[in-house]
Amino acid sequence: MSSLRLISNRTSQQALSNSDYTWDYEYYEYGPVSFEGLKAHKYSIVIGFWVGLAVFVIFMFFVLTLLTKTGAPHQDNAELSEKRFRMNSFVADFGRPLESERVFSHQMAEESQSLFHFCINELDHMNKAKESQKGPSLDSNTHFQEVSKSSGVFEEDLHRLTKFNIPNFVNTEQNSSLGEDDLLISEPPIIL
Amino acid sequence: MSTDRPSNLIKHPGQTSIASLENISDFSLNITDCAQVVVPEEVFFTVAAAGILENLLILIAVIRNKNLHLPMYFFICSLAISDMLGSLYKTLENIFIILCKMGYLTRHGDFEKKLDDAMDSMFILSLLGSIFSLLAIAADRYITIFYALRYHNIMTLRRALVILAIIWAFCAGSSIAIALFSYEAATVIPFTILFPLMMCFILCLYVHMFLLARSHAKKIASLPSSTVHHRTNMKGAITLTIFLGVFLCCWAPFVLHILLARFCPHNPYCACYMSIFHVNGTLIMCNAIINPMIFAFRSPELRSTFKKMFYCSRSSCNW
Repeated sequence: MSSLRLISNRTSQQALSNSDYTWDYEYYEYGPVSFEGLKAHKYSIVIGFWVGLAVFVIFMFFVLTLLTKTGAPHQDNAELSEKRFRMNSFVADFGRPLESERVFSHQMAEESQSLFHFCINELDHMNKAKESQKGPSLDSNTHFQEVSKSSGVFEEDLHRLTKFNIPNFVNTEQNSSLGEDDLLISEPPIIL
Repeated sequence: MSTDRPSNLIKHPGQTSIASLENISDFSLNITDCAQVVVPEEVFFTVAAAGILENLLILIAVIRNKNLHLPMYFFICSLAISDMLGSLYKTLENIFIILCKMGYLTRHGDFEKKLDDAMDSMFILSLLGSIFSLLAIAADRYITIFYALRYHNIMTLRRALVILAIIWAFCAGSSIAIALFSYEAATVIPFTILFPLMMCFILCLYVHMFLLARSHAKKIASLPSSTVHHRTNMKGAITLTIFLGVFLCCWAPFVLHILLARFCPHNPYCACYMSIFHVNGTLIMCNAIINPMIFAFRSPELRSTFKKMFYCSRSSCNW
């Protein structure tokens, strides 16, 4: 039996030697595989694998679509409070001047600009959404404006909150049809 | 191969005498019952060349345009490099096999085995590089969204380069180790566990970002003057599904092949799955073509760089 296997091994390599891509079989050294008495179809793993993969991808798509439609309502409150905290920490972080970084080219400055506008716009939205908390938000809003004015670069752009289009970072066009699409592509814009 | 088959089929399959070679080739008929699915060489070379060219274009564009010297584009470049390596591997393997067929190289020589090992390690390097680059891109976007205000302090150019160096050093080391010890289960199992783990992690990052984007869209939709279309939510789900679906469909078949080759090479079902090995390889090269479209070409800055490059080369601009 073992000699039969040896001979059949060598012959199998010769039989396959005229075909393409037999290089792969050198290392696997498959013995003879008997295809008799198969209960299921011989390509059942292939079919099962691809069907399973397709089902999984479609399932993922439906889960994401459901997240789109419903989602967790409590998350909105959590996001708002988180953002407020980040605004405050942002002010603290932004104490040091931007120009200390050598990598800040003009575009980088524009991107920081866009972050400012994001903050300011966010604050505007929060103000509109929650009238009762107008006080502290306005304070930080004015603080922002002070910080931004002290940098000296962003003065004229404070008036044009929705106009600019920073290709690499933030897309603030409200009418843009890209929406969350951009979020997941090369530049994740923060939709305002 | 095609001339041998018809003569084998005519023979009686029941003969068990081992005297003649022809009866033993009946045995080999059982092996080739699930015949290797052969991808034509033209298709192979076309797909590989397209992948290499596309990724090379991206590298050139990022290098030439100073505006694109950002961490985000460096990670996209890293993905382009790993895709290029994968396509290069397949091209070299094809050339190698053609040389073997034409008789310039033997199959059993030491040099050929070493060359094969080197090429295997290049392929595993490409796979690991792909996975880690995708992870880096997802993490970069995550930081951009959730730590937007401190992004420039967290992800400086220098840190991005250090992260890339660490990733590639790790991938190179693991690929050499895996190629050297590829016959043991201890290497195959971590390798195949790494793949779904990374996938799940990337999926979680993107879903979290997606949820934030959705809550933003809700906030905007609640404003009276909003004109955001509701269909943009669906677009996000489609984009995310395309990202992860493409990665899964292109790499999972190959990973399953490695698992089956290690654990059940003699099972007829596994053998039939392994007969489509070259289709799986072609899928990986298709991934190298699709990845730039999903990641790199969506950036307007990169697209404008390409336009400049092409229009400049066409209408001899001032060099």
